[in-house]
Amino acid sequence: MMRKSPMKQESRQTISGVDFKEYFQPESIQKALEIRAEYGDQIEVAAGSTDLLVANYEKLHEIKYWLDLVKLDQLKKIEVIDNELHIGAMVTHLQLMKSDLIKKNLAVLAAAAEDVGSPQIRSRGTIGGNICTSSPAGDLLAPLLSYGASFKLQSTEGERIVKAEEFFTGPKRNSMETDELLTEIIIPLTDNKREGSWIKVGRRKALVISTLTLAVVLEFEGEKIVKAGIAMGSVAPTPVRLKGIEAVMVDQKLTDLDYKALGREVKASINPIDDLRGTKEYREDVAVDVMVRALKEIERKVSS
Amino acid sequence: MKKFGRGMATIMFGFGYGEGFPDHSIASIEIKEDERIVIRTAAADVGQGVITTVIQIAAEILRINPNYFEVVQGDTHKTKNSGSTSATRQTYFTGNAVKKAAEDMLANLYHYGSLEFRSNHPEIAIEDGKIYMYDDPDDYITYWEMAERVKERGEKLEAEGSFFPVTYSPDENGQADKVYVAYTFLSQVIDIEIDTDTGIIDLLDVYSAIDLGKAINPKNVEGQIEGGTVQGLGMGMMEDQVIRNGKTLNAGMTDYLVPTSVDVPKFKHYLVEEEDSEGPFGAKGVGEPTLIAAAPALANAVYDAIGVRFFDLPISPSKIKKALKEKEENS
Repeated sequence: MMRKSPMKQESRQTISGVDFKEYFQPESIQKALEIRAEYGDQIEVAAGSTDLLVANYEKLHEIKYWLDLVKLDQLKKIEVIDNELHIGAMVTHLQLMKSDLIKKNLAVLAAAAEDVGSPQIRSRGTIGGNICTSSPAGDLLAPLLSYGASFKLQSTEGERIVKAEEFFTGPKRNSMETDELLTEIIIPLTDNKREGSWIKVGRRKALVISTLTLAVVLEFEGEKIVKAGIAMGSVAPTPVRLKGIEAVMVDQKLTDLDYKALGREVKASINPIDDLRGTKEYREDVAVDVMVRALKEIERKVSS
Repeated sequence: MKKFGRGMATIMFGFGYGEGFPDHSIASIEIKEDERIVIRTAAADVGQGVITTVIQIAAEILRINPNYFEVVQGDTHKTKNSGSTSATRQTYFTGNAVKKAAEDMLANLYHYGSLEFRSNHPEIAIEDGKIYMYDDPDDYITYWEMAERVKERGEKLEAEGSFFPVTYSPDENGQADKVYVAYTFLSQVIDIEIDTDTGIIDLLDVYSAIDLGKAINPKNVEGQIEGGTVQGLGMGMMEDQVIRNGKTLNAGMTDYLVPTSVDVPKFKHYLVEEEDSEGPFGAKGVGEPTLIAAAPALANAVYDAIGVRFFDLPISPSKIKKALKEKEENS
């Protein structure tokens, strides 16, 4: 016999209205910058909201004004301009991991994007959101540092370019002014052979905040390393670029380097803490071994 | 470097409240003239599948397709006590109560059938929702028509069953004739790989052999084994409530980790159906027993892989890495 179908329920979810009284979704960068200038630090910028909505619904803090960049299609492009890769701030992790331009030129960034959260988070979360949240554990941040990325910050007053290593100032803090928006990530391309390695250490295989991340990017002329980018996440109050170690590696042949000694250098250059994800001692010991692993991986790639 | 390890653990689990507690279940069944068979039980299905289980049991006894059944569950106005969904007891207790109710109903069908056909029950056949005489299968009456007839008599085609087994409290030496109604046994072998750089355990394969008497629904049993094992492995590797100065530091499920679907290993199950209990069709409970062996089997696999014994859970990457370092320093 026919069964009664369950009563259809009206969706009670509200996108605007009571929950979001002051919610803006501008369609031009200019309009977004004007709103940003007007509200300053009172407004939360939403660039995917994978962190922001969690914070909002857990009532970690009250959010009154919202500036959602989701309609700014100009910020969703990946393009090459004058031997530089320009990545729009609203490019999602999913776009990064699927993009041929990124996979070919910035394989370490593509690999990191693939390790972010879960499929749902990767298709909503953006590179700009990852950068501006400025968590020391943000998965894209170490790769951006190791590629020597710069960030374009815009306001109604103009624009400025800030180097990635100067952008992050503390846990969830950065040097962006309250009237500015991050619009573009700029990464120099090279004709040299570039090989890299990405290692994310986490306590499970998905949906996990990194215990430690390592991004190593080496540029070669012949067998000689001409440029090195080494950066780590979750080992200090900000994602860190290890310039001292980069300097040791430049002008050397990879196979002439003492990987274990470099690993110990890495350990000496970081300043991790004990937390629920791992102890300070754990992070230091793992840093040594993953550095060795990363260099061996690059050695394999270069020789093949 | 990756190090392979294999570990095993075996458990036994006495289920039900036991120890003399007045543990029991009551269930009833009604056949309606509108082609429905309604089972009433207070047993709560929290996802483990007791509703499916009791429908299968009643359908088997009443010789009819399970699609005709409806279950009224967990309503104190409409159902009598079925005890809690805990202690791995519902299949055994409520399963038996429903089985007894179904048997009572089957006897009623024979009773009313013999009145209908003015004959003795050995001459009567009951199957596929029809009652008829063996010597004239075409002249049948359906269960639904029978329900109508019974209604016309001012009665209802309904039955009730209860299951109330006796257990005993253990004496001062911890002994008694029957502390629990029955015991479920499970052996598990777990294969893992440990990354010595990061101290991270990769779960490979889990082989489970469970003596469950009878699998009423083998797919549900497999679901229980996989769910319980993953929960046990979460306890073994991840779940860690950190309390400092009386405050829990884990703010939520972001830092109180349980395995995700991609952390889950491959499973192979062996169901040992010895039908050795007084449960419905010999079935025993499988809920909690599926969780218990996972963490000890994991700890044994870790020992096999790196030669270090851990005595506190979870066996986190930090603990493994530290143990590997100490082992290297001491050698």
